[in-house]
Amino acid sequence: MPEQNHASLKSAAFKAIDRARDEIIGLARKIYETPEVGFEETVTSGLVAEKLEALGLNVRRRVALSGLKAVRRFSAASPTIGVIGELDAVRVPGHPDANPETGAAHACGHHAQLGSLYAVAVGLNIPELSGPLSGSVAFLATPAEEFIDVGRRLQRRESGEIHFLSGKQEMIRLGAFDDVDLAMMVHTSSEEPSGRFIVGGSSNGHLVYSVRFTGRASHAGGAPHEGINALQAATVALTAINTQRETFEERDVTRVHGIITRGGASVNSVPAEVIYEGRVRGRNLAAVDKVAARVERCFKAGALALGCEVQVTAIPGYLPIRNDPAFDEVFVANAKAVAGAGSITRQPYDDTRGGSTDMGDLSHLMPVIHPYVTAARGMTHGADYKISDYETAVILPARVMVGTVIDLLADGARLAGEIRQKHQPAYSRAEYVRLQTERLRTIQYRGQ
Amino acid sequence: MPPTRLAAGASIEALKAAAVEEIDRHAEEIVRVSQRILAAPETGFKEINTARLVAAAFTRLGLPYREGIAVTGVSARLEGSRKGANVAVLGELDSLIVAGHPNADPDTKAAHACGHHCQIGSMLGVATGLVNSGLAEHLTGSVTFMAVPAEEFIELEWRSHQRAIGRLEFLGGKPEFVRLGEFDDIQIAMLAHTSADYPGFSIGNSSNGMVGKVIRFHGTAAHAGGRPHLGVNALNAAHIALAGIHALRDTHRDQDFVRVHPIITKGGTVVNAVPDDVRMETYVRAASVQAILEANTGVDRALRAGALAVGGSVEIETVAGYLPLRQNGALSEVFASNARKLVGEGRVVHGDHGGGSTDMGDISHLVATIQPYVGGASGAGHSEHYVIKDYHLAVVEAAKALAMTVVDLLGAGGAGAQKVLSGYRPAMTRTEYLSFMRSLHTSKTYTE
Repeated sequence: MPEQNHASLKSAAFKAIDRARDEIIGLARKIYETPEVGFEETVTSGLVAEKLEALGLNVRRRVALSGLKAVRRFSAASPTIGVIGELDAVRVPGHPDANPETGAAHACGHHAQLGSLYAVAVGLNIPELSGPLSGSVAFLATPAEEFIDVGRRLQRRESGEIHFLSGKQEMIRLGAFDDVDLAMMVHTSSEEPSGRFIVGGSSNGHLVYSVRFTGRASHAGGAPHEGINALQAATVALTAINTQRETFEERDVTRVHGIITRGGASVNSVPAEVIYEGRVRGRNLAAVDKVAARVERCFKAGALALGCEVQVTAIPGYLPIRNDPAFDEVFVANAKAVAGAGSITRQPYDDTRGGSTDMGDLSHLMPVIHPYVTAARGMTHGADYKISDYETAVILPARVMVGTVIDLLADGARLAGEIRQKHQPAYSRAEYVRLQTERLRTIQYRGQ
Repeated sequence: MPPTRLAAGASIEALKAAAVEEIDRHAEEIVRVSQRILAAPETGFKEINTARLVAAAFTRLGLPYREGIAVTGVSARLEGSRKGANVAVLGELDSLIVAGHPNADPDTKAAHACGHHCQIGSMLGVATGLVNSGLAEHLTGSVTFMAVPAEEFIELEWRSHQRAIGRLEFLGGKPEFVRLGEFDDIQIAMLAHTSADYPGFSIGNSSNGMVGKVIRFHGTAAHAGGRPHLGVNALNAAHIALAGIHALRDTHRDQDFVRVHPIITKGGTVVNAVPDDVRMETYVRAASVQAILEANTGVDRALRAGALAVGGSVEIETVAGYLPLRQNGALSEVFASNARKLVGEGRVVHGDHGGGSTDMGDISHLVATIQPYVGGASGAGHSEHYVIKDYHLAVVEAAKALAMTVVDLLGAGGAGAQKVLSGYRPAMTRTEYLSFMRSLHTSKTYTE
């Protein structure tokens, strides 16, 4: 068994992690206290970069605005195993540890991923590994996994700062994953009991909407008949969307949800501009597109009912994740070795968890795993999401990932090669960029 | 019949006294006719037995009449001794449908919840007063007694069918009377309508006009449990359309008194099939024709939006309804002076604008028209609580006021009528009216 074969290498790596334990957890805590939203994670990214540079790694900063990449080369350049940590926070203004100004809070546990990423770098930095491992490890801190602030990101897109609206989408487009052969990350989960790994499963794909209803302002008391109420158009549209729910098939795991980011300018003026940001999710793109067509009809219907205009921008969201089963097995073997034989919960590969991640996009290009470690409490993206057991949230997954990298790259990187061999990528980078670029559409409709 | 006691050259007051005396003498008989009609309610264009009662009364009075006008209408004329204005005194034949009304027909649920049975009584009361007193030979001009069908604009689908088979063109009785030329030689029209709002009489009330709409949403049926995703839900289309209609309400101006109040006449076929055929009826009412047409444009958009949102289609048939009521001021004052003599100064008031509609509005665009209200009713109009408490006021006093007004108009050489008519300009000619009404009729299916 590989874990027995490479036990001494792993043990040395784990010792290095243990020695740096306080520093690793300190980094994760520091990031927790500095929550920043996607493409704006400058402080967070800087903290990670400094740590990696202190290990002697050459860090490429500002990849996709705020991302970074550093490569540790062993006895050969390839294959390269990508270890990923996500930089961004989500906005939960009610979270006790939210930034009071931005409302940003690490209510999804990404700070723990960055702690793990650094821990893996520490563990793999020991000289004992340079000879036995064939290949490289790329540490990638990716911006903007949470697909939020769509209006702001569309502005960035218009000004040419970004092309895609998520970090991994951008980093793929920019070629940051071109030299990566396999990629993994571990995400925290608040499922019970703590200290387990959830392996397998899938995520929903999605299409993101930015919808602008444009009516006509007038005095809401004095001359409401002169106005065209864009907020009423939006409410009719949302009512219409809700009536569609009975047509959603359970097997599609459809989710349609959104927020109104602009609902009018002042209460005594008929709302002339209303902006809705929402998304349609489903287990595959066909399921997403089927519902998207209905939802787009409803946006138009809202505009038609009130006689206003609507601009619907459909933005390429994420692809459903395809976790690689063979890759998972390497992770599982290491998780059992580190956390015990009973620490694994397996989820069927066609069982989507409902949420979406841009690891799904990456999984269409290379073998990817995205297991969860149960180490948090509260509701994901809720005000009560909190990690208090950093040993479980940060150190434990780091040990498993270190063991996994060693197994993949030892013995002339035999396992990494086998996994890569068996894997059928869905798209080349060029195909992926074309697909996602084509999903971006704008519909202009005048209700009359 | 008592012999004529009126001397040649009898004064207006003497003529009125003679008419009033005859009405009082036949008061019980007149009220009994109303109560017989109350007991046997019939809806519009189906008032066969009600019309027979009217015809029988004309026969008893020795008045030649024509029947079967606009399906069930009856008309009789009393000629004066010299040529002059022709004054129409009207009564409406039809009932409503109000299931819980104490006098509802157990089978059809038809019920006189609008007091039309009293109008027939008062109209026959006027005829009785004028004929039995023998004062016709003192009149310059003539009086036409009209029992008119279908004032209530209901059972739109059935009436549309009657039109399709050529029995009707318009869906209200008086527009049909106009089309058939029954008002061609009428210069003045009067009808006393019961009310629960006034202790005596009210003059000068205005009312909304309206268009009627017959709406049919087409969807696709599917098993509501097994295959809801394959259905297109026509009931949801209607639901969204209603939301759209309501969302427009803040654009209605107060002075326009816009009323849009749909009902669903078919909401699906069976509960375990996705509804594919949903039908609605509505009026779009307002105080002016322009306001009706503006509101109607919004309603049409909302209906189309419902169909668009679910991906179905909607068939919208808009039919000419009624025009707003514009009562003649000079004629109202003549009526008011007589009403004051009957019930006292303080019990005759000037009425306001009412949100309901009547086809007397149409007549008011063609000839000098009044539709005073007479008290005696209680309960909300068109509800199961609307009943006549004071038949003497509602029928007998109303008949007297109308008869006295006829005498004012046609007595003394017809000077009263000439005075009213000299200040009157009809808003439309019959030809203009008919072409306008026909222009309102549209039928279109929308598949967005």
